[in-house]
Amino acid sequence: MPSELGITKKELAEMRNRIARGLPAHSSPREFLRQHSDMMDGLVRKAFQSAKVPSPSVCLMAIGGYGRAELAPYSDIDLLLLYSPSNKNELSPLAEQILYPLWDLGLDVSCSSRSIDECLKMARSDVQVKTGLIDGRYLDGEYEFFRNLYGLLTKKVLHRRVQKFAGALARDIHPRRQKYEDPAYVLEPNIKEGEGGLRDFQVGRWIIRAKYKTDRWDFILFPDHSRMLDKSIQFLWAIRNHLHLLSERRQDDLTFELQEKIAPLLGFPNGTKGVEEMMRQYHLSAREISNFFHDNLDRALFEPSTFRKIIFFFQRKRIDENFEMAHGELHLLDPVAFKKDPSQLMTLFQHGQAYQAKTDFRTEEAVMEALPFIDDRFRASQKVNQAFLSILRRGKGADALLMKMHQLGFLSRYIPEFSDVEGKVHYDLYHVHPVDIHSILAVQELGRLRDGYYQKDYPLLTSLIREIEKPDILFLTTLLHDIGKGREGDHALIGAEMTKQVGERMGLTVEEKELMEFLISRHLFMLETAFRRDLHDEQAILRFANETGTPGRLKMLYLLTFADIKAVGPEAWTSWKNSLLMELFLKTSHFFEKGEEPQTFPRRGETLAQLHQSLPQDTLNHYAEHLPDRYLSTYSPEEILSHIKMAQDLGKEVLLVGWSREEEVRARVTICTKDRYGLFSKIAGSMFLNRLNILEAQIHTWGNGIALDTFYVEDPTGEIERRLQQFKKDLKEILSGKISLKLLLSQREESGWIQKKVIPKVPGEAKVNNRDSDFYTIIEITGEDRLGVLYEITQALTDCGCDIHFARISTLGNRVVDVFYVQDEWGEKIVEREKINHLKQLLLNRLTPL
Amino acid sequence: MKKIEAIVKPFKLDEVKNALTKIGVQGMTVTEVKGFGRQKGHTEVYRGAEYTIDFIPKIKIDLIVSDELVPQVIETIERAARTGKIGDGKIFLSPVEEVIRIRTGERGKDAI
Repeated sequence: MPSELGITKKELAEMRNRIARGLPAHSSPREFLRQHSDMMDGLVRKAFQSAKVPSPSVCLMAIGGYGRAELAPYSDIDLLLLYSPSNKNELSPLAEQILYPLWDLGLDVSCSSRSIDECLKMARSDVQVKTGLIDGRYLDGEYEFFRNLYGLLTKKVLHRRVQKFAGALARDIHPRRQKYEDPAYVLEPNIKEGEGGLRDFQVGRWIIRAKYKTDRWDFILFPDHSRMLDKSIQFLWAIRNHLHLLSERRQDDLTFELQEKIAPLLGFPNGTKGVEEMMRQYHLSAREISNFFHDNLDRALFEPSTFRKIIFFFQRKRIDENFEMAHGELHLLDPVAFKKDPSQLMTLFQHGQAYQAKTDFRTEEAVMEALPFIDDRFRASQKVNQAFLSILRRGKGADALLMKMHQLGFLSRYIPEFSDVEGKVHYDLYHVHPVDIHSILAVQELGRLRDGYYQKDYPLLTSLIREIEKPDILFLTTLLHDIGKGREGDHALIGAEMTKQVGERMGLTVEEKELMEFLISRHLFMLETAFRRDLHDEQAILRFANETGTPGRLKMLYLLTFADIKAVGPEAWTSWKNSLLMELFLKTSHFFEKGEEPQTFPRRGETLAQLHQSLPQDTLNHYAEHLPDRYLSTYSPEEILSHIKMAQDLGKEVLLVGWSREEEVRARVTICTKDRYGLFSKIAGSMFLNRLNILEAQIHTWGNGIALDTFYVEDPTGEIERRLQQFKKDLKEILSGKISLKLLLSQREESGWIQKKVIPKVPGEAKVNNRDSDFYTIIEITGEDRLGVLYEITQALTDCGCDIHFARISTLGNRVVDVFYVQDEWGEKIVEREKINHLKQLLLNRLTPL
Repeated sequence: MKKIEAIVKPFKLDEVKNALTKIGVQGMTVTEVKGFGRQKGHTEVYRGAEYTIDFIPKIKIDLIVSDELVPQVIETIERAARTGKIGDGKIFLSPVEEVIRIRTGERGKDAI
């Protein structure tokens, strides 16, 4: 049913869509807003004219966004009735008569009625009334009223106390802003109220209007700047128009769902890529607007009065021929100094750090104006680069300065590689910030860490950042760690490749460049190891240590990982994650500290490459992951090859034993079987049984449960071949449970052929060391050599519940030196004092038999 | 219906998740948790300063499954999460009275 205004809701929507179709909302969003506003004017005037107006004493005005003729499809329509005090009583019915037909059309209309005096009074006290009126526009009725109001408003309210007005605007925006500081709003921003949203633009405009008495904001900006700002605002309007039209209501949140729908409408490709591109442009636009807002707010808030300007004149302090300090701010003396000598730009930032001072906005404007002078020569200048690195090296306030450099557009000119990631977003829920902001935030986190902000929560990280040798490289690396984002392939590797040229240009040393490349190419490595590897597995730590290489790199990697995660969003970094990272850091640094450096096991890659020549790829793959580094570094590739062959042959066999005679009385014995608890003592016992004296032994356990042990044995009686055959037979029967070792030993003991040496010439000693390994208790035993001593020792260990993972047995003259790496039945180190004492005592007893 | 709550080692998460997905479990809730049991925390020394790791980081996986799936799900978690060493974690099984899908109001099995 048509309303009193002669159209239906449906027809109204149709009118709106017709405008949208005639003017694709993205090609000229401003024109769309104007035409939509014009259309609304027609309806509102019609409503006003059909109401019973107490002629001639009322004026109808549009205020707020509608007053500016920037009416988005479903925005509020704010009206004001200006009256002369004589006919106040007739106003209420009049307002109703205007509103009802508009409400019937589903429009969000509100209408206030005030006299001119009331308007002026309220404008002085209420900033929202004031800003509404600034944008006021005459619609119908008594024009004289409108003229009067504006004359008085301009003269008495608008241009007075601009500083206070700016303060009120800042206070007004603050609570609205807080809500949108939530990172959820970075992913799904509010086009109107968010940082760099339409309201920011508006506030900037109001301030310009009040301060410079002009509505042409573009007049007070540099042409480039105003063009950029205009483009940005048009982009936001375009998004907002689509938001409203698609949702058919006042929808200002750019949700994921709507991002996907709007991106193609604005000409971006379909799918994730298009969304990411659109959001990138959104963030760049929002930053432009946000800068405009802050600049104008700062200008109005901090512009000193003429009186204070005179005082400052006498307080200022000359720094050099181009800069002076006054009022705690840096001023550029000669406005064209930057153009004459662009390197002064970096000098400005250096002064900013040295004096811990902000720059005044005029100097900042001069920076922005001088950006085109930053060219290849500037970027390659040693003076400039040294100054930049020294800022990073000195550290204090470096993060804030980087932020400033970025805001002014300086950073992207100076490091063009960085400009590629500006505003680049990930279309997911985890990465809250665009890449450039994420990188700057990461630097900021390092700054906080260095300043002691996290002393209580993260004492280890705090002490690490203070002891690293090259803080400048760490800061630079953190800034650049994601520059490879948004390109095809692994962003860490691409980024590392890109930093080469940056390092080259900045004149870094070879070591510095290598360090940076390493850190960037592996910036996810520590995180992946900490969260996806078993930190109780020595191999995992060893490989990590091996690839990290030095304690210095380890520290920097930990700090970079912290900064990277912390800057993702407030919930990304948890104490849970830190526990894992800290454990990995500590265990790895213990490796370095003990001098049990990864260089001890350098041959893994080499050895595997050699094995590859003789083994089919899948066989190698099958075994490679199970072979511990300690094992690989002990044997030659040929030996390993023969071991793998043994393991393959083992199949369902219980045991494989092979040997080669070295001399008449000695042989090298290789034993391959499935690992089991107490295996070593069973082997040693069987050898003892057959009077084979063990001179050396290496025992290793592969990751797949295969035990691979080699023994160097002696039989002085010259019957070694026969004894080995018998040993093999005995061990096989023992392992398959057909016969008990203890029983065999007791039988032969009875026969009384064991030699017993009564007085040991070497004192027995057993050391239990829990310091040198994070994974194993290391037991070192020295004592008098005799037949069967190894069996006694290993049996003692087995009796105490020790699982032997690795052992090195050697004989020096009549002295045995044995090292065992053991764990308890739970796979943990043996730490209980009682247990250790008991173990030591038992071992000593066995070393010196009665 | 039963609720299965499994505490596992962090690095086992992917394995457990993949194994569960393979047998058709469609949803689960994963939480970063800390605690200790037989496997106690420990103190590490770095350059003379002590850093205590008093709670050990673990992953908690919650899932609701219909009764007939319970044995298979438990066996899958056990197999995937086991390393044979201390700290492999625990699985808790408890009855669930009702499940409601908020969006549709569906109840019982349909809402799982």
